[in-house]
Amino acid sequence: MHVLRMLDARYAPRGETIVAPATFDVAPGEHVARVCATAAEAQALAMMGAALVKPTSGIVLIGEYDPRVQPVHCKRIAAFVPHDPLPLPEMSVDHFIDYRAALWDIDTERARAHAQILLDRLSGLHEAFAYPIVAALLGCPSLLVLDRPQPFFAKKILAAAGPCAVFSTHLDAAAAFEFSAKLEAVHA
Amino acid sequence: MTRRTLSAIVGSRLHGERRSTAFACVTAAIVGFIQPHGVSPLSDPLTADVATRSVWLAGPVFFCSAIGIALALAQGPGRHAYLDIAERSAPLFGRELARAKALAPAIAATLAALVYWSAQFLSGFAAPPTFFILALASVFASTLVALNATLRSGAQRLLYVGLAFATSAIAYILAVYADSVASRTGDALGVATELIFCAIVGFISLRQYGEALARSDAMSS
Repeated sequence: MHVLRMLDARYAPRGETIVAPATFDVAPGEHVARVCATAAEAQALAMMGAALVKPTSGIVLIGEYDPRVQPVHCKRIAAFVPHDPLPLPEMSVDHFIDYRAALWDIDTERARAHAQILLDRLSGLHEAFAYPIVAALLGCPSLLVLDRPQPFFAKKILAAAGPCAVFSTHLDAAAAFEFSAKLEAVHA
Repeated sequence: MTRRTLSAIVGSRLHGERRSTAFACVTAAIVGFIQPHGVSPLSDPLTADVATRSVWLAGPVFFCSAIGIALALAQGPGRHAYLDIAERSAPLFGRELARAKALAPAIAATLAALVYWSAQFLSGFAAPPTFFILALASVFASTLVALNATLRSGAQRLLYVGLAFATSAIAYILAVYADSVASRTGDALGVATELIFCAIVGFISLRQYGEALARSDAMSS
């Protein structure tokens, strides 16, 4: 049983290869980090892992569901955190939590209480980066997908994720190491 | 999709486009006031009826449809990236998301059309409510067609924008001239044909938008 499985998953819109065939598995609770050559590859790979981008060829399974056939089931399992920070002037943080709770149809009070717990775990991380992570974890996903997260806060992000599996994409090996090597330290 | 989810998407989209909506309402008010409403005296009642319709409907149909098209295009990816990614990440089907996303520009365009009609009324040349309904039908249909352009690029995008303007033009022609073909039916034929045309075009466009939204991915759109 894997929470994410990619078998020769390739993304090449209009013939331009962005993600070369990728094969790997993410088991429940496991933290997997992957180094990518370009920002576009990192973004596309992370989005494929969260059912936001469909592979051009190959197979992607999220909790045994195929995003091409059952995208809604996949999105209940995998939550995506984009690389870009939340534009706070556009939407207040409370409004953002309420908005995400409404999208996932989670009780507002429960979502706010859950958000507070997660924010405590993420204390020190800038709100613009913390709130997308909090919002992603509101739906209690089995897999958290991070597109080029801040390596400096890896320990806190992994702690906030708790037992949830984490798949992250990075542009350098050092950043990837922070997310895959600190697994033992966080759970110790 | 629950009502709460729907209102969250529509509310956040309307909030994101509040400045565009306010600008659309202000321009609608100005154009509503300055639009010429006068019709030259004509002895033939049928010709006079057609002339009145053509003058009184031209402004609301074309201008308010243009506003609806502009507001629909503003819903495209990129303007509010955080909303785009949140909506796409949510466990919603393409058709559900399409309905919610279509409702926001439709509400904004309805507001602008109401402001236009109010301005016409205040300037002393208020068109009958039927004209407002005819204009609103055209606004809805062209807005829904224009939404399809937001998921496309290049020539296809231009084609859909052109189709949206063509929709308002056809709606206008039907509303104004359908009665003149069969004068015995009174206003009913013009009203009915325009409403049926807009309903069919709007329904097909919304379905197509939902399909396109489900097929497209977060990186390509």
